[in-house]
Amino acid sequence: MASRAEAAGAAYPNKVRSHSIGERLVQGGLRIPLVLWAIAVLFPILWTILAGFKSNGDIYADPWGLPTTWNIQNFADAWTTGSIGHAFVNSAIVTVLGTLLTLLLAIPTSYALERVPFRGNRVLYNIYLAAMMIPQALGWIPLFMLLNTLHLLDSIWGLLLVYTATQIPFSIFILTGFMGTIPRELEEAAAVDGLSPLRTLWQVIAPLAMSGIITVAIMDAINYWNEYFMALIFLQSPEHYTLGVGINYLAETAQYTNAWGTLFAGLTIAIVPVIVLYAIFQRRITEGLTEGAVKG
Amino acid sequence: MVQPQRQRTFFLLICLVPTLLLFVVFTVYPLFSGLYLSFFDWTGLSQHRTFVGLANYDHLLHDPIIPKTIWHDYFLVLTKVIGIMVLSLFFAVALTQLRIKEAPVYRILFFFPNLMAVVVIGILWSFIYNPDLGLINAGLRAIGLDSWARPWLGDQQWALPSLVLPSVWAGIGLFMLMLMGGILNVPKEIYQSARIDGASEWQQFWHLTIPLVWPQIRNSVLYIVITTLNGSFIIVQIMTQGGPNNATQVMGSYLYQQAFQQFHFGYGAAIGVMILILSLITVLLLQWLMRGKRFEY
Repeated sequence: MASRAEAAGAAYPNKVRSHSIGERLVQGGLRIPLVLWAIAVLFPILWTILAGFKSNGDIYADPWGLPTTWNIQNFADAWTTGSIGHAFVNSAIVTVLGTLLTLLLAIPTSYALERVPFRGNRVLYNIYLAAMMIPQALGWIPLFMLLNTLHLLDSIWGLLLVYTATQIPFSIFILTGFMGTIPRELEEAAAVDGLSPLRTLWQVIAPLAMSGIITVAIMDAINYWNEYFMALIFLQSPEHYTLGVGINYLAETAQYTNAWGTLFAGLTIAIVPVIVLYAIFQRRITEGLTEGAVKG
Repeated sequence: MVQPQRQRTFFLLICLVPTLLLFVVFTVYPLFSGLYLSFFDWTGLSQHRTFVGLANYDHLLHDPIIPKTIWHDYFLVLTKVIGIMVLSLFFAVALTQLRIKEAPVYRILFFFPNLMAVVVIGILWSFIYNPDLGLINAGLRAIGLDSWARPWLGDQQWALPSLVLPSVWAGIGLFMLMLMGGILNVPKEIYQSARIDGASEWQQFWHLTIPLVWPQIRNSVLYIVITTLNGSFIIVQIMTQGGPNNATQVMGSYLYQQAFQQFHFGYGAAIGVMILILSLITVLLLQWLMRGKRFEY
């Protein structure tokens, strides 16, 4: 992006130079909102992490200052007595398996909808599309009864199936967009080489749609890791809690016990792994999302 | 492609049926079942349910809280769309069009809130708004505006506007990235020739950037509207539970309270149908209002 502006500048050096002082002022002025927003984003997150190390006394005496002593006990308390440890493992299971299942179901369907003409193709695509607009809350009451009937209530496996079903329309929407850009000649060549449609899908199409698949995987995973409300309704016993519900439980407990340090330690446990993963994969995520926005 | 008909059919079934099965069982069936339940009086706990026809809808039309929840939802929709679009468009343009060396740092940082669970964001912001310990009141007192300090979330007048800031804070990053994708996709030559023609930065923004990224703007607005109407209640339920005195009650939080806390499942389902109808009307209206304006290049 900088290179584009520089290229334009190099082509018309006089024009740019004559504006340079004014431009520099404008640039400086436009930086202010960026810096302010960066602070607005970072400060509460850093504060949460710091508060996780604080004793209750510290939190009340100087809520927004640095901890006087670095208290690691909060994290141990959140992990064990607050059941955040259990919740962390449950959330990890639901997130990883849920994302895999979503991809396993959405990739073949997207391919069929995008590339295989059959009767009802457009109708089915539009049904999935329309489902993105349905208020999920309307389905929660019957879902509760359904899960109860299937003996999947209060179980992370039931939750995983429900999550997958709710993310399928979005995943199909993004994946069909990406698959639409793959040249048809490649499939024709694969067919000529005698590859079955299934092998064409996994060996030719899937690798080419990889940036779309990664985008969908990340968006789904973020959703599953962070989902709270369905988990709250469908999970009842603390050993089945996922992170969202576990943290809500910590927050409710803190209302009575004033264990704020433990609560913030719990919040830190929920936030930090995702931010670390994002920092590692951010280039791919940004590329996928910006590309996806154009294609989708 | 030339393939035996049977192989093709088999392939299609493998591709489509498992997905459709899960989708129908866990999404389509609950939806229609919810529509059906809205004609019953049912506590959700007993086996017994009574068919009451349109009584739930009649009750809905006469429930004085319902108009409040609708108004609150649309207040959030409007303020969120304006707040998120103005800021994320500004950031997207600043990070792509201006020569800012540290642009990638901002791009990474601004996405952080999108990685956080709503429950985490809700708890965090409840603390920021806390009347005694909170950052906002502490800040106001520090600059001598003691009289402005107030129990934000407990204030009848300020509770609802206070919910806008966390929602905008949580939303910017994603939409900024989507708009950046749109802007980066515009051929460079267009901006170059606009510069030669003497267009100012401001003119370039209004006459080039906005029309060229219109599809992304439209998709973002639609996405914000849908997720707000269907999901705004989550932050409400975490931060205020609809209070004080229903000042922040939205359609979804009212549904949740009626169905899962007061056990009026039938009435909750009727509220769900209302949300469905309002979202569909709003989305269709918006699509019509924001139609066209696409700019070919």
